[in-house]
Amino acid sequence: MGLDINSIRSDFPILNRKLPNGKKLVYFDNAATSQKPQCVIDAMSRYYEEYNSNAHRANHTLADEATKALENARKTISTYFGTTPEQLIYTSGATEAINLVAFSWARENLSEGDVIVLTEMEHHADIVPWQQLSKDKGVEIRYVPINIETYFLDMAAFEVAVKDASLVCVVHTSNVLGIRNPVEDIIQISHQSGAKVLIDCAQGAPHEKINFDDSKCDFIAISAHKMAGPTGIGCLLVRKDAMDEMGPFMTGGSMIKTVTTEGSTFQEGHAMFETGTPRIAEAIGWGAAVEWLSQYDMQEVHSHINEIASWTAEKMKNIDGITIYGDPKLSNSSGAVSFLHSTIQSQDLALLLDEGGFAVRTGHHCAQPLMDALGVPSTNRISFWIYNTIEEAKSFVEHLEYVVNRFS
Amino acid sequence: MNERKWPEKLDSIVEEFAECFDSMERYELLFQYAKKNPTPLATKEWSDSNQVHGCQSRAHVLCEIDQNGKFLMRGGADAQIVQGLMTITALAVNGMTPEEVSLMSPDFADAMGIKSSLTPSRANGFLNMFNRIKEHAKNLI
Repeated sequence: MGLDINSIRSDFPILNRKLPNGKKLVYFDNAATSQKPQCVIDAMSRYYEEYNSNAHRANHTLADEATKALENARKTISTYFGTTPEQLIYTSGATEAINLVAFSWARENLSEGDVIVLTEMEHHADIVPWQQLSKDKGVEIRYVPINIETYFLDMAAFEVAVKDASLVCVVHTSNVLGIRNPVEDIIQISHQSGAKVLIDCAQGAPHEKINFDDSKCDFIAISAHKMAGPTGIGCLLVRKDAMDEMGPFMTGGSMIKTVTTEGSTFQEGHAMFETGTPRIAEAIGWGAAVEWLSQYDMQEVHSHINEIASWTAEKMKNIDGITIYGDPKLSNSSGAVSFLHSTIQSQDLALLLDEGGFAVRTGHHCAQPLMDALGVPSTNRISFWIYNTIEEAKSFVEHLEYVVNRFS
Repeated sequence: MNERKWPEKLDSIVEEFAECFDSMERYELLFQYAKKNPTPLATKEWSDSNQVHGCQSRAHVLCEIDQNGKFLMRGGADAQIVQGLMTITALAVNGMTPEEVSLMSPDFADAMGIKSSLTPSRANGFLNMFNRIKEHAKNLI
């Protein structure tokens, strides 16, 4: 049985919104952030209306309820990602999760001359923390190039780069190209070389079921807000042996066992890395999002998205002056379609598309090394998710044709 | 009496935009103004020092005092919408005193009906460019 898209759409109140110019919203900026179903909004409101309290601190009824909800969400989310609550550290998102690995694991375990492997396809969140580490500790960074004809990672170059490496950090799915990397091979080859692996699943998690334990990966970074959850929360999934090698990141309340004027001792496990008041409402909201998403077969969701993306990209290729970056017709492409017009500058095009009600992304997408590799300063990007329809895609193509005809 | 929000010489342009049938027509008009920059900055003069940072498009602005002691801005952008607004800004500020430029508000773009020209996004090319011109003007006082 296929997805009932009308029923899915009815869970998202924002999809009914009209823009100030009277146009109906068509939301194609899902790779930036997804919309939130009513159940997520309700779960967060309920927390504030009925049991708002600080977690892990007091014995009163509200504190108990808040603590239970926070930890139940951890169980729900970790189960969804095929692991245990002990291996899930709440963070503010994938960016903080990657920084956590850089500060807590890499600074503790790497030193001058050690090698970290990145790719040209990485988001800045998976580049800048390593550049900072390189400055401070003298570690070497090697970048694996992409083949700009196929948009795939150059795996032969990867196999060379990974030799003697201590850590490999690779994006699961490119936020620009929609290309899904062969992460299973990357994890296996890296482990054979003795390197630990961090996979940035910010774009991957909304499109396929990530199973952390089965993946054998050491670290996985995830953001909630791209998969129906709220902003401000995400997680780092960490294998226990890697967590045992991590030192404290942020310090202060919650993460300590004891504090005296002479010094402090720290909690063990994920508690050491969750400093200060937890993101309680956000965790509860993410738990609700994961429960909502669990009712769908993610392969079916992916097929739906992929069908719209590949149809749209093929139609766009027939419009004069449009170049597509990436290969949306690939069966494992995420549904992100990056493109440029030969004469209408990308920011102009985004504003002209917005006039038609279409929310699209413009810019370097926090992936400037990839833009450099592609030889462009920026792209426009449309990105689809579970609630988008082929009718929306058809209206987008029509509006794009109209804009190109009028303004090019 | 209400204080003027933009110089009198922009009244006819604001009116021209306000009379457009819809926003697409306004953008079309702005594309036409992009070609009429009275004091363009050629791309060969674009440099890091005159780049307006934070734009999704490339924009460059150079401000100076002309031989009559008045403010003169030259600019260029790859986005036509920013370039069009740059033309209109140049028509407004060129010939003013630096003090007048430093006190000017970008409200004329809003009155022209150019949606999102005044959103506080870090990516807003027009607003970044306008603020850059005002900073230059302050430094030239």
